[in-house]
Formats: sequence, structure tokens, C-alpha cells
Amino acid sequence: MKKLLSLCAALALAATVWTPAGAQDETRVMIERQSAEMVDTSAFAHDGPITVGVSAGYLSNSWVVFALQHIRYEASLHDEIEDVLVTDAGFNPAKQVADIEDLISKGVDLLLYWPVDDKAIEAALKKAVDAGIPTINTGGGFVASDGVIASAYIDQWNLGEMVARRLFQDMGGEGKIFAMLPIAGTTAAVDQLAALEAVMEEYPGIELLSAEYGDWNRAKAKQITENLLQRHPQIDGVFSPAGQMSIGVAEAFDEAGRLGEVTMSPGDEYNGWMKWVAQHEQGGAVTFPTRVGQDALRIGLQMLRGEPVRRGTKIPSEYISPGAAGAYAELDRPDDWWASNLPDAWKPE
Amino acid sequence: MSIAETPDRRPLWPRVGRFLERYAIWLVLALLFVVAASLSEAFLRPVYIGNIVRQAAPVGIAAVGVTLVMILGGVDLSVGAVISLTAVLAAIVMNGEVANIPLAIGLCVVTGAAIGGVNGVLVAYNRISPFILTLGMAVVVTGITQIFSGGTARGIVSPGFREFFNFRIGGVLPVLAIALLFIAGLGIWLQRATSFGRSLFLIGSNPMTARLSGLPVERVTIAAYALSGVAGALAGLALLARSGVSSTFAGRGLEFDVLAAVVLGGTTFEGGRGGIGGTIAGVLVLVIAFNLVNILGLNFNAQLIVKGAIIIAASAAYVIVKRQQ
Repeated sequence: MKKLLSLCAALALAATVWTPAGAQDETRVMIERQSAEMVDTSAFAHDGPITVGVSAGYLSNSWVVFALQHIRYEASLHDEIEDVLVTDAGFNPAKQVADIEDLISKGVDLLLYWPVDDKAIEAALKKAVDAGIPTINTGGGFVASDGVIASAYIDQWNLGEMVARRLFQDMGGEGKIFAMLPIAGTTAAVDQLAALEAVMEEYPGIELLSAEYGDWNRAKAKQITENLLQRHPQIDGVFSPAGQMSIGVAEAFDEAGRLGEVTMSPGDEYNGWMKWVAQHEQGGAVTFPTRVGQDALRIGLQMLRGEPVRRGTKIPSEYISPGAAGAYAELDRPDDWWASNLPDAWKPE
Repeated sequence: MSIAETPDRRPLWPRVGRFLERYAIWLVLALLFVVAASLSEAFLRPVYIGNIVRQAAPVGIAAVGVTLVMILGGVDLSVGAVISLTAVLAAIVMNGEVANIPLAIGLCVVTGAAIGGVNGVLVAYNRISPFILTLGMAVVVTGITQIFSGGTARGIVSPGFREFFNFRIGGVLPVLAIALLFIAGLGIWLQRATSFGRSLFLIGSNPMTARLSGLPVERVTIAAYALSGVAGALAGLALLARSGVSSTFAGRGLEFDVLAAVVLGGTTFEGGRGGIGGTIAGVLVLVIAFNLVNILGLNFNAQLIVKGAIIIAASAAYVIVKRQQ
């Protein structure tokens, strides 16, 4: 039976999409090159009041809700911005196409968006550009297409690299770890794992026991960890950049009485995780900043002034040490909340 | 020789066959468990068994309610959305205060019952396909959850709530696991020992005959769907206890796990047969299959293949065992 299962595993591995490490590096170099290109935005120069359109692929997670609030807050700081029109596609790519067309017909001067499916909305975004409306991909990965004038993006590979380096330093450069990643196949999961493996090459004493996919789901991450704790008598560290899953992982270790033997990696600035870090004084955070919304709007305003902009602006992640987590954790706020520099009046209601 | 002393001379095989038919899924579960235990000694550890039952709690509790509806010949696809709504609602009402726990639980149960009741009324009086209706209700409830929460799972779980349900009795069995077993037991009692339960089977087997016989088909339908809603609400509370408040979509997709467990356990879409006991076995088959591939350390993609194969094999074994009788 064990041999049969091993054969199945081998077949599955062979069937898995395999991208050589060299090809991944080439992709990253290409992205860096394209994002550094300067875009002539003189054609989008606009006088007078500005209406900002935001086409949200979804508004049903706390991160995007905060990103939207950052957009609204930034808009409030500019007298020339008259209105912010927001549409929610509710994870429906076809609806997002309709939403973008709707915003175009309403005469928005600038279009910020985050997609359900990049390919599905390409044509609609091109329509916006052809109508003289600059478009900015907000918060996702870098996109190079005719319909996207600029991207304000967070580099998942960078984030993964920062998390891995901090974890390995905290572990003293050796030990056995497992990785808890988001939904398999997403940019976040692919890039974070690639970054982890790249940093591991510098730390030969680190052994990766398993790469698991918790789907950004706290309960699933906890269940998977409970199983891993049964399988592996020794687990020295956990690579888990997403704080929501990190809480589930840590709970499983705690309930098994093995929290003391594991080093948790930095998660992100998810409030539930920040509370945990402040309480346990380990882990820390590498941010996935919701202020990308503000940065995207600022880039958009540059475009409307006709100023050249970079095709891709990377919004840097920052490291928050366990000692500093207390300043970021909001104990009287829910777990599903994000540490941010938004003024209180602009935080989600 | 008295009648009482007359030995049972019925052939052995038909009795064995009836036993197999009734408990086929349990035999399949036992077989899977033996296989799992032979591959990993984790399955022989009482604490881990307690973990498995606790993991099964949210899906298992929801599946109790859906089983009642499916015995009736219906289906409830809104259960995942109800789980998401009640998990968020409970945390918001609790607001970090112990004193708010009873109100939070009560409000969630009422909410689940109300949603289920609406489903029941529409199915009973408008003859709308339960599949389409409850799917639509799922979309409505999801929208309500998003409007109510504003996209963030706001709410702070009261101290002690999660600790209570995750406490292990005897250091082995979590309270949440006991809650699942209790609710399953309650459901089995309802199904077997009450006129309501008998009505479910009669209506599910032949709705026309049941109506002509004078059974209150509409009332039973509404009650069944309301109970499914209540079970969904309790499942939301179970999920909250298990993993805290994490997102407004915590229950998304669970309706498919629930359906898989119910069908695997022998309750079919045709109605008139099946039962909660089989459903609980079905839930445990699904959880053990997931955990087994995880514990074996298979590559993620291999996990999907093997997990699916286990479910297919379990279903096939169940059908074969039933056919043998």
C-alpha cells in the first residue's frame, strides 16, 4: 500500500506544472525591467474636478476593505477630487467588465482596480485607456498590458524572502521547517515558495519538511498543522507569511504542548496575528501594506497632471519586530482587522 | 416448547445481509480506519482521535440538519452561507463580553431557524426546486453577511467561549467533539423515535401518498428546513469555537463537504431513506481521508488525487456491500 501511494505521489509530482528555477529568475528580471519603464502620461492630463472610479473585483475581505479606505482617505486630502465611485464585482469577472464599462460611461477621470481575473477585464481596461482614462492596477501583482498604465503592487517574492531570512536568523540557521502557503497556484503561493527555496540555498542547515496550502483559512491551517504534528516529532520552525493562517498554526502547536519548541516566522499585519505576537513575543510581521490604495491614487493624480510615472511601483513591505508589535496590535478591535496608519475616523465602520 | 423458547431458524445470510445494508458505511469507515492506522500510528492515539472528531464538528453538525431535509426529498445548499453569517454574528454580539454569550447563541439559533423557515415555506407552498431555492438563498445570505459586516469579520469572541469548547475531558476528548456526538444523538432520536421523523421518511418516499394520508406535509417541510437552519447556525458556532473569527467567508464551500458526507452516508437525493448515523460516518470518512493524505506527507497535488480516490473507493465499497445483501 505504501509503495502504491508513493507511486501515486511520484506520478502527481511528474504531472505538476514544473517551472525551472532559472525560468523563474528570468521572469523576475523581466518584471523588474518592465516596471522600471517610464510612461508618458501627457495624453491623460486633466484640468478641473476629478472623479475617481474604483472597480473592486471583490470587497469581501478585510484587506481590500482597508485598501479602499486608504483610497478614500487620500481622496479627502485633495480638494480637486470631487467624488469616488466604487463598484463591487463580488468575484464575478463578467460583472467586473460591466462595472468598468459603467464607470467609463459615468465619466470617471481615473480608474483604480483590483481584478478577479486579469485576462477577463483586459479589453474593458483598454476601452478605458482609449477613452482617455488612465488605469492603475492596485495591490495585486505587476501587470504589463495595453489596458494598464501603471501598477502599484506588492512583491510577493520580496515578502517571502524577507520572511524566510528573518525566520532562519531566528532559528540560528538550522532546523526543520514546514511552509504554510495560501491557495495553491496563486501568485502569492508560487512566489512565496520560490523565495523560500531561494533563501534556503544560503542555509544548508534548514530542511523543508513539507509545503502545505492553507488557503488563507485559519481552520484549515490548524487542521493541517495538527496532522503535521502527528507526522513529525521534530518541527523547529514554520514559514507562514499570512498572519491569518499563522494563528491557526500556532494554536495547533499550543494545543499539542509544542509551542515552546517552534519558531514562528513573521506573518503579516493582520490584527489577530499582531495580538498573538504581542502576547507571545515572537514571530513579528512583514507587512502587506493596505496603504497601497493611497499610493495608487497618488500615482493616478500624477498621471492626471501629465507627469511621467513608472510602469510599476513596488510598495515596500516593512518588518515589525515582536517587541514593536504591541504598538501595532489593536486589542479592542477584531482579529479580522489590519494594522495601518489610517486615522481612526477613516477606519472601516 | 413455548414460542419464546423456539429457536430462530431463519437463514443466517439474510440477517447478515440486513446488518450489512444498515451499517455498510460504518464498515467502510472501519476499513478506512484500519488502513489509516496501518499507515500511521497517529490514528491509534486517543488524543488524535479526539482531534478528528473535533475537526469534523462544524461539517458534522450542519450535516445532521441537511440529512433531515434530504430524507424528506429536499436539499439545503444555503448551509455554508448560514455558517458564515452566524460565525460573524456571534462574534459581533459577543463583543468580547462573557455575559453576551447566551444572547449570541440564542440570536444565531433564531437567525438560522428563520432562514431555514423561509426556505421551508417557499419549498412547501411554491413548489420551487429546493436546489435552486437554497442556492439562491445562499447568495442572499452571503450578501446579508457582507452588508452586515462591511467586509470585515468584526467581532471579538468572548473569553472562555473557545477555551470551553476546546477543553479536553480526561485530556483526550474535546468538548466540541462531545457537542457533535450529542447533536447527532439528538438528531437520531428525532429521526427514529418521533412522529416527525417517521413523517420525513413517509413524505420522502411518496409525497402524494403522504398528503392523501393526511400527513401535514407543508408543516413537516417547514420544520425540517428550519431545523437545517438551526443546525447550520450551531455549525457556525462550532466553527467559531474551533478557529475563532477569521473572515466573512468562513463557511464558504462547506455545503459541498456536507452534501458529500450525507450522500456518502447513504441518504440520497431521492428521499425516503438514509439517516443521521450514516451521515456521521460519512463525515468521519471525509475527515480521515483528508488527514491521512496529509499525515503521509504526500505532495499537495498527490494529496488531491489520493483523497479523491479514497472517497470514490469508499463510495464504491459502500455500494458493493449493500448489493451483497
